[in-house]
Amino acid sequence: MNVIEVKNLCKTFKVKKKEKGLKGSFRSLWHPKYQKIEAVKNIEFTVEKGEMIAFIGPNGAGKSTTIKMLTGILYPDKGDISILGLDPRKARKKLAYEIGTVFGQKEQLWTHLTPYDNFKFFGAIYDIPEEAVERKIQELSTLFELEEFINTPVRNLSLGQRIRCEIVASLIHDPKILFLDEPTIGLDPVVKENIRALIKRMNKEYKTTIFLTSHDTSDIEKLCKRVVIINHGELVLDDSMENLKYHYLNKKIVEAKMKEKVNLEDEDGITILKDKGYNLKIEVDTSKKSVADALKLLNPDNIIDINISNIPLENIITEIYKKEEDK
Amino acid sequence: MRKYVFIFKSEVMSSLQYIWNILFGFLGYLVILFIFFQLWQYLYSDPSQVIHGYTMEEMVWYVIVTEVLWSSLGGRKLCMKISNDVKSGNIAYNLCKPYSYIGYALSSHLGSILLKFIIYVILGMSLGLLFLGSFPSISILSILVVLLSSILATIISTLLITFIGLFAFKIEDANPFYWLYSKFILVLGTIFPVEFFPQVIRPILQYSPIFAVTYGPAKLFVHFTLENAIEVLCIQGIYLVISYLLCLWLYKKGVKNLNVNGG
Repeated sequence: MNVIEVKNLCKTFKVKKKEKGLKGSFRSLWHPKYQKIEAVKNIEFTVEKGEMIAFIGPNGAGKSTTIKMLTGILYPDKGDISILGLDPRKARKKLAYEIGTVFGQKEQLWTHLTPYDNFKFFGAIYDIPEEAVERKIQELSTLFELEEFINTPVRNLSLGQRIRCEIVASLIHDPKILFLDEPTIGLDPVVKENIRALIKRMNKEYKTTIFLTSHDTSDIEKLCKRVVIINHGELVLDDSMENLKYHYLNKKIVEAKMKEKVNLEDEDGITILKDKGYNLKIEVDTSKKSVADALKLLNPDNIIDINISNIPLENIITEIYKKEEDK
Repeated sequence: MRKYVFIFKSEVMSSLQYIWNILFGFLGYLVILFIFFQLWQYLYSDPSQVIHGYTMEEMVWYVIVTEVLWSSLGGRKLCMKISNDVKSGNIAYNLCKPYSYIGYALSSHLGSILLKFIIYVILGMSLGLLFLGSFPSISILSILVVLLSSILATIISTLLITFIGLFAFKIEDANPFYWLYSKFILVLGTIFPVEFFPQVIRPILQYSPIFAVTYGPAKLFVHFTLENAIEVLCIQGIYLVISYLLCLWLYKKGVKNLNVNGG
């Protein structure tokens, strides 16, 4: 069952353009010039119930604009959006009861209040009866391990603790879809890992659909089974993580430690990334040459140690972004 | 409604952190009152003299009430907050919450100034008693009506300033408009009662926001009659509806054309 359906979605912004220098500043007072920027162009996709989807793209690609249209913050110029059967333009308030949002760069908690008081506040905002809020706070504070600091004012919490509280605040009303816009921004690796584990657990326990944007490829890799890439306002890829990782570039990295020096040169399907005599790092394009053929070139008897790995997801994504730039 | 009560309550809890700021802020109020007390003492050669229908004691009580209403309001902070919410795009993030932004802004501001209002009322009344020795003639009914009228005045002021703050949807900076509004209220609405101004502009002042936000409740405190009370409360009722509708209109118009930069 689809919980998100987007068809031919478009959004254009009108941005004031100022001419150079003092003269230009005066001229723009009387004859302001505007430039139209197409932030989102005809995008289409669907998301199924319980899915964890990564919606990614470089800065200015249009992903935040899309999220804002999906959550009812911005009005689209054209196209249809259906979130749980509701149109965010027409049923914004009704939709607010069904979705949760966490914007990593925007605080929604009241910093002078404790997380507990904040959660009670959000419970009241979403018209949840007192006892039900208490029950939910108890349940979520156990799941997200908040017991230690639930009564400490938010302004005294670390960033990691605050983000955990932000996520809990957005879950108080049992949303069916959670929009996470860069939830791990600015966090250290250990806290990031912790937050990811909690998001995963939440998805498993409550079957919440997760719509995630992040520049951190580890977030995407560890959480999502599907990736949608947007660039220059257009959808450039919508594929499973598995396909993206294993088949998109058809490339493998082979790192080998040799007994004797090997004189290897670039050839069709093989690119030498590093050659330090006894240590080699090559990239094999499996659509042109098999890994077995590449190993034959190295002479298996000469190999002391070997590691064959996929291209890091970050490189794959960068490659996709670059391809679009070149177009 | 419960959600707005909760927003109000959360702001009251938050404001408890700033109790010392409120008390120190009262020093400015004290200086203004002292200056006016001296001014009126100088202008009224005889305390029993009546100028434009006010004795000296009534004049001082009038200023005490209008200044309590205006000083405890925190209008500049409210205007800046609303205007910054619009400019930074923060206002947009309220759209995905199930409450009205105007209701949120109103209950949140009223919650943030409740403590200040109570402290200013208590300290203002104590100062009046200290300077003048007695209250003007009051009764339980007049106290209740003045209190109700003062609360309505604060709500109307909050809505009018929210409306000014929402100008930021159309112009870069709403603060100059607030500056004009605050000077209008300060000069024409807090220092002198409407009766002190020339006959020509009196009707304009009488039905301007001044009547609803300062003059009305202060006038009721010094000259309470049932007719006055009905007139003030009726005009405040009309202002309440108009100011709310103005905010709603500007807000709805603004958010439709909202541009929020991506992240």
